[in-house]
Amino acid sequence: MSADHTRDPCPIVILNDFGGAFAMGAIGGSVWHGLKGFRNSPIGERRLGAVSAIKARAPVLGGNFGVWGGLFSTFDCAVKAVRKREDPLNAIIAGFFTGGALAIRGGWKHTRNSAITCACILGVFEGVGVMFQRYMAWQAKPAAPLMPDAPMTA
Amino acid sequence: MSWLWGSANSEEKKIEEVAPPAPSLKDTLGFDPNELADLSTILSAKGAFDSERLHPLAGLDKGVEYLDLEDEALTSMEGAQTGLIPSRGWSDDLCYGTGAVYLIGLGLGGAYGFGEGIKNIPANAPGKLRLNTILNHVTKRGPFLGNSAGVLAVTYNVINSIIDAVRGKHDDYNSIASGAIAGAIFKSSKGFKPMGISSILMASAAGVWCGIKRVIA
Repeated sequence: MSADHTRDPCPIVILNDFGGAFAMGAIGGSVWHGLKGFRNSPIGERRLGAVSAIKARAPVLGGNFGVWGGLFSTFDCAVKAVRKREDPLNAIIAGFFTGGALAIRGGWKHTRNSAITCACILGVFEGVGVMFQRYMAWQAKPAAPLMPDAPMTA
Repeated sequence: MSWLWGSANSEEKKIEEVAPPAPSLKDTLGFDPNELADLSTILSAKGAFDSERLHPLAGLDKGVEYLDLEDEALTSMEGAQTGLIPSRGWSDDLCYGTGAVYLIGLGLGGAYGFGEGIKNIPANAPGKLRLNTILNHVTKRGPFLGNSAGVLAVTYNVINSIIDAVRGKHDDYNSIASGAIAGAIFKSSKGFKPMGISSILMASAAGVWCGIKRVIA
């Protein structure tokens, strides 16, 4: 496979993922909680309800996204450094550790379940990614040139 | 992708190797029928399965003409490359800026919470309770400061990129102006006085950051 040139090399990409995930969560959370606060407020206080819902919840959602993305990226880099290869299993292992690390204050059982769930979700993501990649490769497959049946006489 | 589709150059090389000129027949017929390149001669030719040539990254010593480098072209906007790391555009600025500020906020808040937690440990508490007290304080202070700082950074970077795009160049005035606007938006639900204060604070923070960039980079 050709190298991926759209992502930066490993230690610094963690910073990029932290920021990207946080921005995604914060902006998406503004839209989501803005709509939710607007709809759940009585008429006449809708704008105020939307603003206060955004203020209260969008940064928290951004933080949750950011911590998840940054931890995942950190573990992904660590797994890459240990295994010295890049394949879908990396993301699954990193997802396992991320899920476990985020749930570690909830006790052993919670940690285990969360780690396994997270690994499964990442497994599904990676599976879909591989399927999509195969489909793209199949769509753009190299076509054999048309061969004439009999050699042309000179 | 040339290793997958096959590049024009490598095909030519193979045919050159298997069909050397044979003067006698070539003079009469115009070509040599014994050494015409069909599939089996290509496959049995020396070096057809040479791992060096079949490797995906083969031929890189000749230059990078096969690599698609369009995606990682750095932005050519005037003044945009004065930062600490090279930037590919607004998404890089947004991600790196937000990530750095968020992590700094998280770290500072966490450190403050750590100190507070250590102060607030109940007397004669067992180890588990001590750990829990400290962690509770860290997770109370750290994410709060981190989230606020991160939201400020997102707003600042988005406005900065918009001003850059409108003006067509990046300089310190852009940073200070976007800092002022971001600070004003951040406190916009609190009234005019807090808006002004936070606007001034953010503008001066942006100015200080521009100065730091000058010194470091």
